[in-house]
Amino acid sequence: MRIDYNIKDKFDFGLFLSALVLFGFGLAAIYSSTVNNVIAHANFQKQIIWGVIALSLFFITYSLPANLFKSIAVPSYLISLGLLIAVLVIGKHVSGSKSWIMIGSTGFQPSEFAKLGTILAIAAYLSRSNTDIDSFKDILFTLAIGVTPILLILLEPDMGTSIVFIGIILIMFFWKGISSFSLFVVLSPAFVAISAIFGLTYFIVALILVLIFLFIFKKNLFFSASIFAFNLSSGFFADYVFRALSPHQQKRIQAFLDPMADPLGSGYNTIQAKVAIGSGGLTGKGFLAGNQTQLQFIPEQWTDFAFCVIGEEFGFIGSIIVISIFLYLLLRILKITYNTKDEFLSLVAIGILSVYLIHFVINLGMVVGILPVIGIPLPFISYGGSSLIVNMFMLGILANLYRTRKNYT
Amino acid sequence: MKTDNFGSIKRKTIIYIIIITSAVILYGRLFQMQILHRVDYEMKSSDNSIKSLELEPLRGIMYDRNYKVLVSNIPAYTLRITPAYYDTSLNKIIETVIDADPGFITDLLYKNRGYSKYLAIKVRREINFKTVAWLEENSEHLPGVDYIIEMQRYYPAGIMASHSFGYTKEISPDQFEKEKETYNLGDYVGHNGLEKTYEKLLRGSKGYKYVLVDSRRKQIGRYLNGVDDILPVKGNDLVLGMEASTQQVAEEEFVGKRGALVAIDPTSGEIIAMVSSPDYDLNQFSFFTSRDYLEDVYNDPGKPLFNRATMSVNPPGSTIKMLEAITALDLGLINTSYTTYCGGGFTYGRFFKCHGSHGTINVVSAIEKSCNTFFYKLIYKIGMEKWHEYATRFGFGQKTNIDLSEEVAGFFPDENYYVKKYGKNWPKSIMASLGIGQGEISVTPLQMAQYVGLIANNGKMKTPHFVRGYIDPASEKLVPFNYKEIDTHINQAAFDVVKEGMFLVVNGHGTATHIRLPDINIAGKTGTAQNPHGKDHAWFVGFAPFENPKIVVAVLVENVGFGGTHAAPIAQKVIQTYLNSFKGEGKVLDEKIASLENN
Repeated sequence: MRIDYNIKDKFDFGLFLSALVLFGFGLAAIYSSTVNNVIAHANFQKQIIWGVIALSLFFITYSLPANLFKSIAVPSYLISLGLLIAVLVIGKHVSGSKSWIMIGSTGFQPSEFAKLGTILAIAAYLSRSNTDIDSFKDILFTLAIGVTPILLILLEPDMGTSIVFIGIILIMFFWKGISSFSLFVVLSPAFVAISAIFGLTYFIVALILVLIFLFIFKKNLFFSASIFAFNLSSGFFADYVFRALSPHQQKRIQAFLDPMADPLGSGYNTIQAKVAIGSGGLTGKGFLAGNQTQLQFIPEQWTDFAFCVIGEEFGFIGSIIVISIFLYLLLRILKITYNTKDEFLSLVAIGILSVYLIHFVINLGMVVGILPVIGIPLPFISYGGSSLIVNMFMLGILANLYRTRKNYT
Repeated sequence: MKTDNFGSIKRKTIIYIIIITSAVILYGRLFQMQILHRVDYEMKSSDNSIKSLELEPLRGIMYDRNYKVLVSNIPAYTLRITPAYYDTSLNKIIETVIDADPGFITDLLYKNRGYSKYLAIKVRREINFKTVAWLEENSEHLPGVDYIIEMQRYYPAGIMASHSFGYTKEISPDQFEKEKETYNLGDYVGHNGLEKTYEKLLRGSKGYKYVLVDSRRKQIGRYLNGVDDILPVKGNDLVLGMEASTQQVAEEEFVGKRGALVAIDPTSGEIIAMVSSPDYDLNQFSFFTSRDYLEDVYNDPGKPLFNRATMSVNPPGSTIKMLEAITALDLGLINTSYTTYCGGGFTYGRFFKCHGSHGTINVVSAIEKSCNTFFYKLIYKIGMEKWHEYATRFGFGQKTNIDLSEEVAGFFPDENYYVKKYGKNWPKSIMASLGIGQGEISVTPLQMAQYVGLIANNGKMKTPHFVRGYIDPASEKLVPFNYKEIDTHINQAAFDVVKEGMFLVVNGHGTATHIRLPDINIAGKTGTAQNPHGKDHAWFVGFAPFENPKIVVAVLVENVGFGGTHAAPIAQKVIQTYLNSFKGEGKVLDEKIASLENN
């Protein structure tokens, strides 16, 4: 069986098939949640078309030469930024945010494409031979690359996607080898800023925690004091910006930080999602037989809440299968990342892994009610062309790295 | 500088642990929800869930100028079947009750088989009260059968005005795509007429009621006692310039005729009455339109859905002669002592005849007697350029921008048009025909009414419109709309001369002396539009009272011949009715008008 061996050596079947099975589960969920919906019943067919396009992209990316990715890093980052600016000007409002660019009747979300552009750019910068991950200059520069798209996405405003970007940057820093002290310096001002928005008590508690950490790290006094001052000013700055916002913007940020305050908005979805999944039981109510799904208790269930359909109609068994496939996929990618010896490509791989991981954790955490409702889709499962295409494209890069893994020994 | 930490086994292990931990937490959470607490969630799923119900707002109503209700809402009962609970053995009984053909319900259920069994299907709208009573009495024997109350349009004033009011219709998929934020599928929106123009004001805003429902969507209570409910907001009520009794008389006059009538109050530009005949019954369109009625309306050779008042185009005939006289007087080409000789016609290349030999005739008599010879000659004095310019000042060849979307611009040719058509040396004899309003000129009855309104009001008038304003729900006061004023910039003297001629048409020895009234001085002009396809169309335009015009009327009756005979008497009736409405029942409402309009 020589041929068989060769194919397995060149093509990561585990990676590809697990994504394909997840896509299949997604199609079932989309079909079930839209079959009775007059507005959305075309989404099943649309998703199949997106799937075909995404698969073709996967195979194209898979067969490209691996060194091509580095040369497209800067252009794709700049194009991403251009699209993110364009969407603010010509974008279409969908449920409160301006995140879609329309081409005819179909639209795409530049923020999805910007994920890949940002990963490539950060990987390119961090893998330069003279980059020192613990130097102030390089940390700041990398942060600048990552924070620019975040600011543009916050203007849409799309909180969920911004959070994904923050996660990507942190995990890439971590993989590059940032020291725990530098990580602390990067993280603490953001932590203090968010606490400041919640009120004075939270602000003070956050500052005390910062002090404790500074004590543990035992750096020289002047350095510690300036970091503390920086934290203090970021807290005041966040508070100042928050007060300068209009009341409805403040309300939106508060609802984002504390969704349970609004039981008929996002809280409603959480309650209904939990009831749908919980009532699925061990084996589920059967395909097309879940009353929560079929009666459309959850609005637009085929997007961010698609997992509820699986939970309700396929039960605990179906849910466990889906999560296990994700687990397998994520560990598989971690293995590819670790085995990729080229620093740039390895950083790209960890960036892609972080996208899948963050979406997986936040989406499922939100659907099962242990994380606040942040509208981000579940990779390969939720309805949506932009995210499916980008996810498959990124999977193509990983498959490519597997194919070319022996070129860099 | 490369650090040793890059991609280290230690860092790989940390990420490995994060991934495993996330999955384990999710496994645990799902085990807790789906295995341990399954029963709780199942109960919640079948017991109660919060569901938001949409509450439809009442559509704004329409008043006439005396605050008589023209368009309002009444409740209608709709019978529904929910297939999940319905027993098909009931088919026969239900079909009998709603007077449907056998097999009707089987067909309906089959058509809806693609939708959820829990969604109620509307079986028959506008069921009568007896049926509702029967449903109430027998509800326990009729599982899956119920009725809901929906509001539909109701026209209590006894008038049709179908083309003016227009009707609402289920939203089209195209419009829905564009306005998803505002509408749901199945919502009714203004489809034509005033219902369409003022859709945004009339529709109001939807309310929401949060209720607890079980999995069968059966309501089992209010959520939080209804504190979060949002009440629907009724649409704004419109006040029209229409006068109901005048509109009614105008409609009666057109029974059995084809044509149109537009009556305008020249002091305000408000439409007093507008008829397009044949018309259609709005009651048949108010909610559920029967297929038979639709077929009748679509196949009627009289095209009842077509608004002749704003969309039919015909040559104006002799009614255009005032325009020519005004142009020549305003330009100083003629004055009242200018005369010409009519020997029964005019030769320019060929012979153009007049309907009499008027002898030496001046401009006033030329209008009074409708002398063609006078105007054949006059148009050559004016020339194409000025003639077209003055026509444009009176709004010909352009839409009036009345508050209906169904309107056409008509056509008023200029020199370029003929140069393009026939070349530089186009036959100038065409101008003679144009001089008496025949040939390629085409105008709508609305444009004619605007034209006469401008004459009656001495060259200035507001853009014609139906709606005076809306009633502000908070203060209950009328909020008037502002309309643009049309100004022809023409000397008063020109209007005085022409109006004298129009006075004599009715009160001297003119073409419409048979509509003279003892108490009201009507001024007007007859016209006949040549029709190559059949009998000529009759025009009459006029205004009254002569001294202080309060109403102008343009009447077009198709395929009947001479204007004086067929169109003028209709105008007379309409003028009489409107001017009498000031004396009669209008007074009863004076108090109400005063309370609404005096801010």
